[in-house]
Amino acid sequence: MSIQIKEVSKTFGSFNALNDINIDIKTGELVALLGPSGSGKTSLLRIIAGLEEADNGVILFGEEDMTHIRTTERKVGFVFQHYALFKHMTVSDNVAYGLKVRPKKERPSKKEIEAKVNELLELVKLDAFADRYPSQLSGGQRQRVALARALAVEPKVLLLDEPFGALDAKVRKELRRWLRRLHDNFHITSIFVTHDQEEALDVADRIVVMNEGKIEQIGSPEEVYDHPNSPFVYDFLGNVNLFQGRLQNGKLLYGNVEIDAPGFESAENQQAVGYVRPHDVTIDREDTSNEAVQAKVVHVHAVGRSVHIELKREDTDQFLEAELTRERYRELELKVGEDVFVKPNQLRVFIPEDYSI
Amino acid sequence: MAGHIPMQHGSKNTGKRTAEEPLWIRVLLIALALGFLLIFLVLPLIAIFIKAFEQGASVYFASITDPDALSAIKLTLIVVLLTVPLNAIFGVAAAWTVTKFDFKGKSLLITIIDLPFAISPVIAGLVFVLLFSAHGLFGEFLFEQDIKIIFAVPGIVLATLFVTFPFVARELIPLMQAQGSAEEEASLTLGAGGFKTFLLVTLPNIKWGLLYGVILCNARAVGEFGAVSVVSGHIRGLTNTMPLHIEILYNEYQFSASFAVASLMSILAIVTLVLKNFIEWKTSQHG
Repeated sequence: MSIQIKEVSKTFGSFNALNDINIDIKTGELVALLGPSGSGKTSLLRIIAGLEEADNGVILFGEEDMTHIRTTERKVGFVFQHYALFKHMTVSDNVAYGLKVRPKKERPSKKEIEAKVNELLELVKLDAFADRYPSQLSGGQRQRVALARALAVEPKVLLLDEPFGALDAKVRKELRRWLRRLHDNFHITSIFVTHDQEEALDVADRIVVMNEGKIEQIGSPEEVYDHPNSPFVYDFLGNVNLFQGRLQNGKLLYGNVEIDAPGFESAENQQAVGYVRPHDVTIDREDTSNEAVQAKVVHVHAVGRSVHIELKREDTDQFLEAELTRERYRELELKVGEDVFVKPNQLRVFIPEDYSI
Repeated sequence: MAGHIPMQHGSKNTGKRTAEEPLWIRVLLIALALGFLLIFLVLPLIAIFIKAFEQGASVYFASITDPDALSAIKLTLIVVLLTVPLNAIFGVAAAWTVTKFDFKGKSLLITIIDLPFAISPVIAGLVFVLLFSAHGLFGEFLFEQDIKIIFAVPGIVLATLFVTFPFVARELIPLMQAQGSAEEEASLTLGAGGFKTFLLVTLPNIKWGLLYGVILCNARAVGEFGAVSVVSGHIRGLTNTMPLHIEILYNEYQFSASFAVASLMSILAIVTLVLKNFIEWKTSQHG
């Protein structure tokens, strides 16, 4: 089932939670709504579920207008951040709930419900816990029950609100991989809300980056990570180094050096900021071009497959971050306190008016 | 009557604490507390029963089977059977409205729910007299329709309803606020309508709190004196509830009879306390 969100706006009192949101989600897609808290991502998800009503705009499931259809009839599966399991029911009663509350005519027989519940509990690997109560389960197990419960009604759309937000790092990683596999097997159109960029990059087919009630960028994980179209996206998805300077003749001048700034050929003497990711930074012992700034190594963090180097620019005292491969790090034999030359390989330039962090 | 403290659902202090105070201070404090309890709670309770049986068991049973006493007991039961279920429904509805929806004037509504706790029961009774008595606001209309409210059972029920209104709502509001509405929302997304959601999700979650509120409401409905006294007219055998009947007997120097009926109410109070403790124990089990 495809989902179209058209010109949706929502205010809470004087707070503009959502501002003219347009998203097209294809059937079977797994989309992440990514943004900081207060960016409106949860409000949007709740509007799609019908738990909240939009002030303006239309929500379509396939060709069907859902804007004024009640939650009860939208046939969405919703997974809450804090699970929202029914405390007084066992795991299997929780999963069966959506089938049991159906009107008599549409309700499957007791046997069918039981079979369905067993099948789902097997799917989430909790068949041994059928008679337990939610309070007797761990966080990860509870969220799997919540997922099984949502899937029991065979929803056309699966909506997940920070599903792994309350779990510890290891379980979170396991569970999101598992969600991805589940999605690959069932191809149910899914939207999940997260503030964790790593989670979004890891799991989603497409990422919708949101900020202050607006969409900053929509694209595949590669697109939004490698080609952010705004300073906000640059900053929010991963670490970034800022080179403040001046645009002149299609070049960004910063400190004593200059670097090409394609696309800004006509800009004259304008303040601008260049953005570069830590892994797009080269460190050299000698200055081979005119594009490097001098910096002192402040800290070396050598845990993991790459080495993170913290540096301090000699001219502006600004801190920079570089990510090197282990080989390159060994080659350079960097030590804290040494002077080196730092060069951005790929610099994306934005003029300050249109950025807000 | 200045309200009560809502039931505590938090974990109890289970850690053992070694007393650091010297022994004599501990003994003194415990003796003080126990002595206070004895003088102000246990002794009066015993006194009621001693006084009630002063002239022997036959007088005791004669007093509580006297037609006037029986009609007072009957009237009290009628009042309780009407007010407690009504206030349970109103209380749940009010708590549901306050906790699950956002609207303007919400804090005003909460204040109004507390109103009966804040004003004296006598004033509460007088309000109904001003509204429904022969010279009251609706007096003429009611007289034409031949409906009697003041100095009749409806007035007693209304006054009791008013005075006991906050108990259930006050008990449920903090409980439902703490629980939030996530479970209800989950139920809605799973296709259950509002009524099914209430029945299958909300009610099981609040049942102990609701029962607790009902018990407190019940105790007050049985024992209410001030408001009922103003609207009842003290007509023997017709509009006397148990507390009013006790007062009349007492004023007529029939001490044994008066205390006999009082002992019945004391038994009810003890039963209420036991039930209340049982429910507190039960809720702490469910965490």
